[in-house]
Amino acid sequence: MKAIKILLTLLVVSTMGFSQYRNVALQAAGLTCSMCSNAINKALKPLSFVEKIDTDLKSNLFVITVKPGTTPDFDLLKKKVEDAGFSVGKLTVEVNFGKQAITNDTHVKVGGKNLHFLKVKDQTLNGWQKVQLVDKPFMVSSQFKKMEGATKMACYKSGVSAGCCNDTKAGERIFHVTI
Amino acid sequence: MKRLGLLSLLIHLLVYSSNSQLPAKNAIAREIALPTLNGDTITLSSLKGRVVLVDFWASWCGPCRITNRNLMLLYDKYKDQGFEILSVSIDDDISRWQEAVAMDKMNWLQVNQRGNWRAPIVREWGVSSIPISFLIDREGRFVAIKPSYGVIDKWLETLLKPRNNIQ
Repeated sequence: MKAIKILLTLLVVSTMGFSQYRNVALQAAGLTCSMCSNAINKALKPLSFVEKIDTDLKSNLFVITVKPGTTPDFDLLKKKVEDAGFSVGKLTVEVNFGKQAITNDTHVKVGGKNLHFLKVKDQTLNGWQKVQLVDKPFMVSSQFKKMEGATKMACYKSGVSAGCCNDTKAGERIFHVTI
Repeated sequence: MKRLGLLSLLIHLLVYSSNSQLPAKNAIAREIALPTLNGDTITLSSLKGRVVLVDFWASWCGPCRITNRNLMLLYDKYKDQGFEILSVSIDDDISRWQEAVAMDKMNWLQVNQRGNWRAPIVREWGVSSIPISFLIDREGRFVAIKPSYGVIDKWLETLLKPRNNIQ
């Protein structure tokens, strides 16, 4: 019994720091200089999955280190940025794919999120890979227009699954990404 | 013991919230003691007797760089009448601060506290966006918080009028 308890404790401890998402890079857009305001920093700092925020002043990026054992909530990030008076111009995230085969215009489930790949070559992704979210709320509209023809699937506009596939239920959140 | 804990929490919250707010008009300005370009320390209190504009900025802040041009106009107009500008940079990169001061030809008092938005002075003065300036009278009291160029100009006309020596 004692051995089982130790084993369980070790299992919990070993999985505590495990996360398949890290380093979210968020570029804020708006009429005013986003770096000149501390509002975005203040809004993002208290989020449960945010370990720390670094700013890259050259490229106007907020680089969010994801707290170990947590998963970033992209929709919440977008909401907080908008509440601070800005919008998301670009969002990239590093994802640990392990060894994941991907096909263009199909989705895979990674760390509890559905990632639908657009404008990619069929390939196998190994380990950490940076992907860009290409859904409308995470891009400037001019860039989104360039992506619109990449799929005919309804989920790209709705952001949710239409229940087309075995591994997703209708209404489940789908994030569209490219490399 | 529990009450004491709650009380200390309340005090902490009050102090923290008051620190993160913009200062009130007529309040005495909080002390600033920061290094200048040549490494000497300058204090805000040492400027007592002059009308001082404290301006927060950073080299990476585009709107701040535009504001610097207006500050130069004000400085040239009023510097001989007892007006001083104390530009407080929050640049983390000292060399970029130095370059920007030279590039913008800022020939008034310059100090820096590194850290960008993490610089302690940001919270101490309740600054949440830059550029932002505070106009302080000869006695060290705030007369205008976040004033525009036009408002500063009007205030300076009033504040820098020769003092009436009639007893």
